This record gives sequence, structure tokens and C-alpha cells, in this order.
Amino acid sequence: MEEEKKYYLTKDGLARIKKEYEDLRQIKLSKTKGDVPRVLQSEDLNAEYLAFQEDMGFLDSKITELEYILKNTEIIKNPHKDKQDIVGLGATVFVDVAGQQDEFTIIGTLEANPALGKISNESPVGRALLGHKIGEEVVVSSPVKTIYKIKKVKYHIG
Amino acid sequence: MKNILNFLIETGKLKGKERRGWVMHGIKNSETTAEHIFYLAIMAWTIGKTKKLNIERVLKLALVHDLCEVYAPDLTPYDPLLPKDKKKAAEVLKKWPKFTNSLRIKKDKRKNELENKAMDKLVSSLPTNIKSEIKAVWLDFSKGISREARFVRQADKAVNFLQGIEYWKKHGKIQHKLWNRWIKEIIDDPALIDLIKAIEKKFY
Repeated sequence: MEEEKKYYLTKDGLARIKKEYEDLRQIKLSKTKGDVPRVLQSEDLNAEYLAFQEDMGFLDSKITELEYILKNTEIIKNPHKDKQDIVGLGATVFVDVAGQQDEFTIIGTLEANPALGKISNESPVGRALLGHKIGEEVVVSSPVKTIYKIKKVKYHIG
Repeated sequence: MKNILNFLIETGKLKGKERRGWVMHGIKNSETTAEHIFYLAIMAWTIGKTKKLNIERVLKLALVHDLCEVYAPDLTPYDPLLPKDKKKAAEVLKKWPKFTNSLRIKKDKRKNELENKAMDKLVSSLPTNIKSEIKAVWLDFSKGISREARFVRQADKAVNFLQGIEYWKKHGKIQHKLWNRWIKEIIDDPALIDLIKAIEKKFY
């Protein structure tokens, strides 16, 4: 396991992790007894299916990982109204990059999915944008300079 | 044994399948899918070692991650924007593709469907134990379930960045500024961020 780390999750994300954890524990119990777990009756192929296919070592390591995550979770909450013009976790940021308009939601690493416009707060761009306000320009430093002009910030976490 | 041989012959086709993204950029004799898998496996092994990951699993994930391309289309972030006309395509490639969220979701769903179907077809005749293992590794990769899978998913992007920058230095033709922007939005693994910095230091 990597050194101590905090996992930022939405409420839905946390609920999913808790369910996965409970399901995996149930699979472990079923496997120990030699039964086919009830959770596998779902057609949705998921972590539980995977754990059932794999050996007990994989199942144990996944359960340990989830326990670690659950112990080190912080729920993402909307900031106070006065601070909703600042980019924070859970914000959808509308930017202008080299004349192109773009938008993405900044989220914790476990829920990040760049293909769906959800970028991690630990990515270089996510990290650079955090804490900046509407109207500011954020430079992501590297040999190639990229400037993100923040046009709009929106919070809509359920 | 006949079924395993047939599977090998089918996967062997990836040795001759040039990656569509490079072909679109006009790179001659570009990297094939099999070469990409090789490059990723080596990268994931060497960088993964520094993260104390299960390397056997990392290597299986890398080997399996693009096997579906025997039958599935080699989609790029620009699909479905790319016209068949090469000159028009070159114009499209100058900008980063932008899609609405609903289109992103639709594209992602379609990609998953095509790839899952292709993977099912590829492994269908294999003995049950091998088939289950490959499908489980594929499921892990496509959903990012284990730490190893989440790492290999990002290494897949990093190795693509490295190859793109190598092509840019050799042939031009690659919009390296766009690639630089893209990689910094999608990678958050500390070891891979360090690798990206090393790539920049070496090539710029």
C-alpha cells in the first residue's frame, strides 16, 4: 500500500465503494463455504464477478484496499455560496484553452474518468486549477506553456 | 490445442495492424497494435516495479488491454469527427476534439460495447479456465477495478504520449502542444507524472 493518502469521494462514489466492500465480504464468505454468491445473479459484470473468478489472494487484497480507502475518505461537499466562484473539488470548470472552449469536473482520483470529462484533482491540470477564481488565467508549466482561462465555475454535487 | 492455436493466429494479426491514430497523422510504417502492447508491457513493468504493484498482474493487464482490436475498431479520441478525406482530417487534428457530456457518455458506451463483443468473440473457443482468466483481466482493465488496472490504464496513455513525442521529433506531423495539454489532464499517478517530466526533459 502506498503511503498515507486521502481519498476524496462524492456521496454516490462513497455509496458505491461501501456496496462493493460489503459484496466482496459476502463473496469471501460464500467462497469459504463453497457456495455461488447471490450477488452474481446480476447480469452486470462488476468487481464482484471479477473477485469470484479470481483466487482468494486477489479478493483479500481488494478487501484490504477498500478498507484502507474507507478509513481515509473525505466526502466532497459544495463550498459556501460566497466561495462558489473558486475552483474546488466537485466543481465543473468552463475554460478557454488556446481559443478552444472546454469543460471538466474536478473530482477525486477514484472517480476520475477523463473520457467522460471528469479529471482528477491529483492530475497536473486539476492541481493547477484548484483554488483559482473565475476570470483568472492558470498556467500549467512545462516546456509547452498552456494557459487555462477560467470562464465559469459550477457546483452541482448531489 | 487446436482452439489455442486458432486464438494465437487471430491475436497474431495485431502484429500487422498499424495503429489508426498514427496512420491518420501520416506516419509511415507506424507502430502496430502488437508493438504498442509490447511497449506498454515494458513500461508498466519497469515503472510499476517502483510502486510495489503485483507485476504478474500488471503484465497480464498490459498484454490483454488491446487484444479486442483483433475484431474491434481502433478508435481514437477524434472519432467520430474525422472525415475520410486526409486533407480535411489533418485540419481536424489541429484542434483537440471537443464533445458534449452526453456525446462523451454515448461514445464511451459504444466503445465498451464494441470491445466487449470483440473480446467475447476472440476468447469464445478457448478452454474455460483460460477464457475466464482473460475475461477477468479484461474486465479489471476496462473498469479499473484493481490498483494494477488503474495504473496500467494510465500507463497506456503515457506510452502513447511517449510514442507521439518520438514521432514528433522524427517526423514532425504530431500536434505535440495538444498532446502535452492532454496528458496533463488525464494522468494523476505520481510515478507516471515523473515519467512525463523525464520525457519532456529529454525531448524538448
